[in-house]
Amino acid sequence: MLLHLQNARKRVLRMNFKEIGVFILAYTFALCLTNASDSPRDSDYDYDPPAPGSYALPVVKLAADGALLDTNNKVVNLRDLTHGRVTVLSFIYTRCAAPKGCPYAVGILGQLHDLTAKDKALAKTIRLVSISFDPEYDTPQHLAAYAENIREENSGCEWRFVTAKSRAELEPILLAYDQAVDKRSNPADPQGPLYHLVRVFLIDRQGRIRNIYSSGTLDSRLVLADVKTLLLEESKLSNQ
Amino acid sequence: MKMPANCQLQIKISFAAIGALVLALGPLVSRADETCSSPYLARIDGQEEFVYVWTLGVEGLGDGADKLVTVDAKPDSPSYGKVINSASVDGRNEAHHAGFTDDRRQVWCAGLETSRVFIFDIHTDPTKPKLTKTIDNFAETTGGAIGPHGAYALPGRVLIPCLSNATDKGGRTALVEYSNDGNYIATHWLPTKNDARGAANSELADGYGYDARVLPRKNVLLTSSFTGWNNYMMDFGKITADTEAMKHFGNSMVIWDFHTRQPKKVFAVPGAPLEIRWAWSNNHNYAFTATALGSKLWLVYADDKGEWQAKEVAPISDVKGGVLPVDISLSADDKTLFVGCFGDGKCRVFDVSDAQKPKQIYEKLIGKQVNMVSQSWDGKRLYFTSSLLAHWDKQGADNEQFLRAYAWDGKELRPSFDLDFTALKLGRPHHMLFGSTKIGSPRIVAAR
Repeated sequence: MLLHLQNARKRVLRMNFKEIGVFILAYTFALCLTNASDSPRDSDYDYDPPAPGSYALPVVKLAADGALLDTNNKVVNLRDLTHGRVTVLSFIYTRCAAPKGCPYAVGILGQLHDLTAKDKALAKTIRLVSISFDPEYDTPQHLAAYAENIREENSGCEWRFVTAKSRAELEPILLAYDQAVDKRSNPADPQGPLYHLVRVFLIDRQGRIRNIYSSGTLDSRLVLADVKTLLLEESKLSNQ
Repeated sequence: MKMPANCQLQIKISFAAIGALVLALGPLVSRADETCSSPYLARIDGQEEFVYVWTLGVEGLGDGADKLVTVDAKPDSPSYGKVINSASVDGRNEAHHAGFTDDRRQVWCAGLETSRVFIFDIHTDPTKPKLTKTIDNFAETTGGAIGPHGAYALPGRVLIPCLSNATDKGGRTALVEYSNDGNYIATHWLPTKNDARGAANSELADGYGYDARVLPRKNVLLTSSFTGWNNYMMDFGKITADTEAMKHFGNSMVIWDFHTRQPKKVFAVPGAPLEIRWAWSNNHNYAFTATALGSKLWLVYADDKGEWQAKEVAPISDVKGGVLPVDISLSADDKTLFVGCFGDGKCRVFDVSDAQKPKQIYEKLIGKQVNMVSQSWDGKRLYFTSSLLAHWDKQGADNEQFLRAYAWDGKELRPSFDLDFTALKLGRPHHMLFGSTKIGSPRIVAAR
């Protein structure tokens, strides 16, 4: 715990003032969520999660493709990030300071990442993807620094941070994933300059969206149960 | 697994830090919206600017078609209290309920007779809803569910509670899910005695449906029950005289595991429990409903052990034969419940500060008949419409069709504006939804 905080302090020192605020939010949520899969209820999620495999996750629709840029400024096809592994995909922007917005979503993915650092089998099975919808600010270079600050464990599962060359190239992807993003009327809004819904997608290995979470349903215990439900479904199908 | 004590402390510290940071960053987005909406819905800042009214067409009146009517609700507007747009759909479909998608960019308007669902874009121009898609293969796609009863916003999708089925057009029915872009996802049939799917009290399961609402922090979905196509498309006078038809009304509610969509427990709630209103406070684990045929207020609540229960908590008037309570609206502070009573056209107001012991504190005659009641998030404005169902509305001079707006000061309702939907050649106004231009500007890319 002490080492954890010391590392966090070093990261904060490398940031500017605005980034510090956003980082504190994301980091605080990550702390809250540490070991959340083992944790009991809290006032926001006051229930026991279901047993994996005890329920079905019907296909919502196919996950759309599109051209994006990774943190090395290389073009990647979104399709390659939504196939082959069970994928948890989130739309974010790093300037977001809404407590139940991107910092919270990043915190959930961060916790899943930490879990996979302790579970090698799970690490090889799932992938995390964070797509920025703020390409002018979230350049590949900026995302690379952000990712370095957020990812706690180098040994966890694949966690890709991607952005787009331009808003024009991003638009079809936002439309396909039904991700609403608006400018706030006040660009200096303390919660960040953009208004958006939290959208996190669970995608199976075949690139089919199997669940969509928002802040009211984005409970790491549920996401983990859903991931395991898809893995059990695969296992059942392969045995048939 | 038990959470370690140090982790609990860590979480407490973390939330304290969040609180401090939130205060430093400024206030959260304020909520101002009707209190009956889905908790997953994007919220409006400030006063509602428009009231969208899903309206049944009347043969020979105007174009005779069902329509989504837009009314200006901005008090400082020159057209305040006036109809500023009317978007007709194809024919009459027994327009009934409607609902937003979670991003509040679309309104899904359902037809009980034809099972068609009309999807309107209200984002591009909130003053002029535009029909963008019609789902006209509902029964085939859903495996036989019919009578779609509005749409309830869930993350990235809508939940459509239905009233009937294509096989016998009785009350057995289902919940249906579509993605926000109109792709069918799944059908979940209500439990019956013979197909309880693990629900406790299966002997009470009648398979009927009406409303469906979620309490996210408890991961529960609650459903209520009405009647099937055969009854809601029959003249009301004929039904009440038909003892066999009167047997085919729902007498149950079901609590579900929301995440798994699995029914968990069935409650006996006799007399057609209709609208469900979950309390909003974080420590209020209960919902109200009113039974249309029983004229009772019921409470579904978590008891001291966390077990869900249902109990009758108050009569709705002592009028012999009942007053047909058809809609309820709970204030955002969970203290006041407004009940629209179709039978005598009155709104009855209950103090529900003690949810187990509601007390009527006020009543007002709204019209010859009244159906839906919706209130603003601040509880200062209430809107009423008149139509229940085309075949159930009153006849002759009693068949008033209106949208009436009132101001509520905590003691009485005072009229704000009144629209006569017959004189305006619009039809029978039913479900109301609030709109605003402040919910968001166009997409960031589209605006460039």
